Amino acid sequence: MMETSLKVETVKDALGDLGTVDAVRWNRVKVTTTVEKVREAILRTQSILACDHLVQIAAVDNGKTFELIYHLSGPHKMVVALAIELPRDKPEAPTTSDLLPPAGIYERQIHDLLGITFRGHPALNRIILNEDWPANEFPLRKDWKMDPNRFYGGVHEEAK
Amino acid sequence: MTLSQRLANWARVKSPWITVFNSGACNGCDIEVIATLTPRFDVERFGILAQGSPRHADILIVTGPVTKKQATRLRRIWEQMPEPKYVIAMGACGASGGVFKGLYHVVDGVENVIPVDAFVAGCPPRPDEIIDGVVACLGLLKEDLAHGGREWRQKKTVVIPRVEPKLPEVVA
Repeated sequence: MMETSLKVETVKDALGDLGTVDAVRWNRVKVTTTVEKVREAILRTQSILACDHLVQIAAVDNGKTFELIYHLSGPHKMVVALAIELPRDKPEAPTTSDLLPPAGIYERQIHDLLGITFRGHPALNRIILNEDWPANEFPLRKDWKMDPNRFYGGVHEEAK
Repeated sequence: MTLSQRLANWARVKSPWITVFNSGACNGCDIEVIATLTPRFDVERFGILAQGSPRHADILIVTGPVTKKQATRLRRIWEQMPEPKYVIAMGACGASGGVFKGLYHVVDGVENVIPVDAFVAGCPPRPDEIIDGVVACLGLLKEDLAHGGREWRQKKTVVIPRVEPKLPEVVA
């Protein structure tokens, strides 16, 4: 088995009081934490664990709740995944775009497609869907169905 | 027809300038267009020239099913082209939406946004088929010049009068 220079014990020491830490793969540690503690967890991952790179923010709709997984990495090539869960009736999370500048564009995408609101984001505008897409329609939610009688943007009938 | 018009028409038929617009394709069609332009097929020996700006182009090649976001942009690009202009919809997606047909973010085919003059079949079409599509457009251009416009090949809408079906009388 290969080894990375960042040990799982170091991650446990740094983030153990914020949630459960398990080594899911040889180069990947998953930390399951909560919405309130995620900014603190990101700050500690950046400072103590030397993770200077945001790989991606994964957003999952598992049917009951939404999951956000922040994948952070650094020169040690270890990926620290910070997972949080959001309730379906009030999907809100604090923004991390001030801590991790690339997170802003991921948050716009997640807000566009899954309807998760990020509090404190400077400009939570549309980025992927067309500009005339109707509000409160989130196509990547599992319970979303296209309404055949609704106009979803694109070509207006009179322009044809 | 004046001499300058005849000269312009001669130049148009001999050297069509094309521009390629990706309206949400998987890039397969774009790679085939690049193969058409590069030395193996070398369409420049026929006078076909790739042009960056739609304002300088005669033929617009559209690849891909038109996504809802690209639909207004495609319409705007087509409106920028000077007359006479011709549109080639490329591949299965350009004709009907292809594998993307019916998805929430596509409008299923180029013809829902702009009028199309030639469809090139295939997924993706081969470079020689693209050249064939351009040649077909040049044939249309010659015919249009002879007819003085493109109205001669527009489909006439025939209004069929609706006949109310006569129900048999119910005998009590």
